[in-house]
Amino acid sequence: MTPTKTVLIVDDSRVSRLMARQYIGALHADWIVEEAATGEEALVKARAVGPDLVLMDVNMPGMGGIAAAEQLRQELPAIPISLLTANVQAATRERATLLGIGFMEKPITEARIAQLLSTLEAA
Amino acid sequence: MFALSELENDALIEIFNIGVGQAASSMSAIVNEAVHMSVPSVSFINRAEAARLLDGKSAEPAGAICGVSQHYEGAFSTEAILMFPEDKSLEIVRLMVGEAVSQKELTEMEQEAMCEIGNIILNSCVGTLANIFQRELQGSLPQYHVGTSDEILIASGSLADTVVLMLHIDFLLEKHQIHGYVAFVLDISALHDLKEQINLYIARAMGQA
Amino acid sequence: MMSRLPDAHRLHLLHSVLCAVNLGAIVLDGDRRVVLWNAWMIKHSGLGHDKVIGADFFSVCPGLRGGRVESAIQQALYNNFPSLLSQTLNKAPFALYASPVAAARNERIQQAVEVTPIAVEGAARHCLIQINDVSIAVGREKLLREQAMVLRTQTFADGLTGIANRRHFDVAIEKEHRRAKRGGTPLSLLMIDIDHFKAYNDHYGHQKGDQCLIQVAAALAAMLKRPCDLMARYGGEEFAMILPETDVEQATLMAEAIRARTQELAIPHERNHDAAQQVTVSIGIATQKVDAPADIEALIGAADRALYLAKRNGRNRTEALLPC
Repeated sequence: MTPTKTVLIVDDSRVSRLMARQYIGALHADWIVEEAATGEEALVKARAVGPDLVLMDVNMPGMGGIAAAEQLRQELPAIPISLLTANVQAATRERATLLGIGFMEKPITEARIAQLLSTLEAA
Repeated sequence: MFALSELENDALIEIFNIGVGQAASSMSAIVNEAVHMSVPSVSFINRAEAARLLDGKSAEPAGAICGVSQHYEGAFSTEAILMFPEDKSLEIVRLMVGEAVSQKELTEMEQEAMCEIGNIILNSCVGTLANIFQRELQGSLPQYHVGTSDEILIASGSLADTVVLMLHIDFLLEKHQIHGYVAFVLDISALHDLKEQINLYIARAMGQA
Repeated sequence: MMSRLPDAHRLHLLHSVLCAVNLGAIVLDGDRRVVLWNAWMIKHSGLGHDKVIGADFFSVCPGLRGGRVESAIQQALYNNFPSLLSQTLNKAPFALYASPVAAARNERIQQAVEVTPIAVEGAARHCLIQINDVSIAVGREKLLREQAMVLRTQTFADGLTGIANRRHFDVAIEKEHRRAKRGGTPLSLLMIDIDHFKAYNDHYGHQKGDQCLIQVAAALAAMLKRPCDLMARYGGEEFAMILPETDVEQATLMAEAIRARTQELAIPHERNHDAAQQVTVSIGIATQKVDAPADIEALIGAADRALYLAKRNGRNRTEALLPC
């Protein structure tokens, strides 16, 4: 029984956040899911809550997911981050590798969330 | 006028963002450059309003829109049209092909390139929609049109008050930002079907289905 | 759609048609294995049925893995959507050659490809890949493009300033010279040169130098009054103005107006020697009089010498000489 963890889901789409919350809950009912709708909000939440994992949508207005991930990496390097994107291309992969973060392909499915969480636990 | 709730709108925009995101991925593989596409908003308007919307974006007065259309059938029927002002189409083809497009119009071979771009984007959008709604559709090959926005929309066989689902598209390649539209011409039953499917999707997302 | 033939004959007919059509046809089953590879494909790929039928498509064409062709096949098999692969964006994805000679030179056929889903009763969806040889159309468009490029370099506009270029000037001066001689009218030529332009470039940089040229050219060209007047870029920082039916007095007035207009632009020029430290021009005027026709070289020569005189006499001024 893994101790309770906190996941921060960052996406400007409310339905996306609901979906992620739903799938995480199905796998770990006791985990806490925090939400943020923008990159800026994500930083505020992360500093306050100290999550065990951050799921960050790339395509958001304002700061954007990659800039927020870079900032978060600098401030709180211990927190694992996974970028969420439907547009997986070489440039995104390289950027993610450079930052030392992973990425998950959209659409968000229960299988993809399960795979991500299992790699997190393995680490 | 047909309208969606905020949550339904959010869901639809997210679905289309996934669709164009995948299209951008395919296009970036073609040009070997970073390509980004997103759908900042959608709206349901009638055909006459749609034409006015497009004319406002064109650099030249009343005319010069390039469209690529595909027809889809099966679980529902729709005509999907990707549209850019003509000068922007020249820009996109030039960027994708990597060579100067010398004339003010696209040559036949360049029109084919525009058709392929439309084929990628439209199949991606409709494909994502069909997958998420777990419906089966079949599609046609792309057709190229150039003319006024009204002419292109009329060619889809719709009436002036037919509802058009308009997607605003932001296209970014090599620091070139281009705005375009995808129009889905839907009849009343298709619209209601769409609303129903979106709600099923949301219910699944909330663990209620 | 087809006449009432027995099934076996129909099948044979279809098979013959597929082998006779002048395009490549490949059919893949739901597991992406090759089930049809027509005669055109055999001829242009060099791969016979023994090598391809029943094999996984991507082991036959490993270079296509992960590319546009693969995603088109996926779209057809799983989403039931057809795809178009234009030659413009996908030069020659398949290794197909017009002849053994072309194959040896590694010159592929230019291809336009379509991938279409095919429903099959009692089996998973198949897909049809059609390959068209568009080499001729590509060659034709390439030729047209090259011709358009050649035409453009022969046009009469100066690339930087947009006014007439030297080539245009040469053609125009010939025409006006002939017209003046035949019509018995005077012809004036102004040679306009920006003062200390090299120093301007050195001090402000070449980009600002270009902008200065564009600004001066535009201002001066706007001063032309008649359609037969022409303002051209003669050299680097030198402009020439052709004024048909214009005598010395009128030409001198025009030259003075140009000199004053340039000063009005008030473009800063710290390396210019005049007190205001702004861009100025020197102008040489030459007029071919009605009773004393000269040839073109003499006219240009006189304008040049007049320009030189203006420079010598302190710049930011006009001088006139007669061709002799």
